[in-house]
Amino acid sequence: MVVERDIRLFFQYKFLIILRAIWFVSQIVLFGLIASRMINVREVPDYFRYYVSGLSIMTLYSAAIFIGFDIYEEAEHGVFEYLLSLPVSRRQLVLGRSIGGGLRSFIYVGPLIAASLFVIGAVNPLNFLVALFALFLFSFGVSGMSITIAVMIKSSDRFDILMGVLDALIVRLSTAMYPLAVVQAANPLYGGVANFNPVSYAADLFRWGTGIESTYFTLANPLLPLLGIIAFFAIFTFVGVTIYDRRIEGGGWQ
Amino acid sequence: MKAIMHIVEHDLRNFFRYKWWLVGLISMNLADLFIMAIVYNYMVSSAVIAQYDTYFKFFAPGLTVTGLFASAFMIGREINMERRREVHHYMLSLPMTRMELAIGRVLSGGIRGMIYMSPLLLTCFVFLGFPTVWELLVILIVLFLMALGISGLSIAIAVSTASLEKFITARGLVYYTLFFCSSVFYPLSLIQQLGAEGKFPAPLVILAEVNPLSSASDMIRSFLLPDLPAFSYTSILNVVVFSAIFILSAAFAYIKILER
Repeated sequence: MVVERDIRLFFQYKFLIILRAIWFVSQIVLFGLIASRMINVREVPDYFRYYVSGLSIMTLYSAAIFIGFDIYEEAEHGVFEYLLSLPVSRRQLVLGRSIGGGLRSFIYVGPLIAASLFVIGAVNPLNFLVALFALFLFSFGVSGMSITIAVMIKSSDRFDILMGVLDALIVRLSTAMYPLAVVQAANPLYGGVANFNPVSYAADLFRWGTGIESTYFTLANPLLPLLGIIAFFAIFTFVGVTIYDRRIEGGGWQ
Repeated sequence: MKAIMHIVEHDLRNFFRYKWWLVGLISMNLADLFIMAIVYNYMVSSAVIAQYDTYFKFFAPGLTVTGLFASAFMIGREINMERRREVHHYMLSLPMTRMELAIGRVLSGGIRGMIYMSPLLLTCFVFLGFPTVWELLVILIVLFLMALGISGLSIAIAVSTASLEKFITARGLVYYTLFFCSSVFYPLSLIQQLGAEGKFPAPLVILAEVNPLSSASDMIRSFLLPDLPAFSYTSILNVVVFSAIFILSAAFAYIKILER
């Protein structure tokens, strides 16, 4: 019930969905196409396909973050008290919200991933299913992270700023836009962060699943990024449940 | 004039209420410069490096212009909110003419853009070198004109859209089209080359050529980066035409909506 409600809520934001779709398409047909002309083919042989696959992960990340904004909307309109009065335990509520947040972003990004697969081309069915499973966990983890941060800081302004800064850092310090070898060459510190970044794990697994990773790098052991995503999902879902459980009551929302 | 100054003061006070939001926005811009641009240095083709030395140097002026664009656009969001909450009835009761009110709003949007952009422009000068006094004057005048035009564009969109969602969607469409069809992220010659090969629509190539974001970015580059094509007066003309069109559109659209 909680999951269904969150999915319905998301699809009420028609204009936001249209906006994200415009962003995705313009990133592919404008930025992706022109920027790929600027890239040295010896460093990244087919930057266009590399970028399009990373873009799917960036879109998935930003759609999953959105659940945090819903929480502030509910707090502002007093819906929180109504939710607390429902015959659902706090744990069921937050788990449902985390799954709902992840699922709805996945439903939304599904057609965009299909569009990027059309651009990228080849698909290795078995690897792709494993990658898809990892992306499911990734989007649940990002939703859990968004919920955790939202209920911890309880201020929509601060949340908005923090998520913007976090988005700028977590996406740019990942392999979504550039291969790890290039990030490491640019700055070993950046490379270190990119190496332990869930966005990198998701992007690398997606490229591995679609079979295009061999053009840019060799993913020696796909189990490592998969374990990284499982750890990310577990931490933010279960830590999120605990924090949500403790902070949900007592007001203090700004 | 005094009435216009009151409006400008009111809007500037509002602007500084969002100081943390501004800090967040600046840090996002700096993340683009100090992470994305530095990593791109290691990926861009030798042709770009030969012309601009590093991608960082190429991108810094473009980033300054995008920062100016985003902050000058903020005034539209406030005006859209005022329209939805019908605050314009209060605005009409103020002891000033409709035209003073409209000019004040466009002017404050432009000044806010310049204030926000100044740390980014300073960062650009620190890393690329300082221009001469005359060049600095030209840069500031052209950027201010552009900020006025952007503020006008944002007000025109804000008063033509009935809801915040529609405003945000329209803003997104304008942002992405103007940002990506410009020389902010990549040299204009690449877009023209793609157009000549038939891989990029001709109207978008023309848009990139006359885009004020391209003109302003390339003008700063022509002053700060050596061995580049000399400064062109066409870039100033593009910005002047853009600003004139949108300042007038905004003033008339704003007056019309106030009187509705």
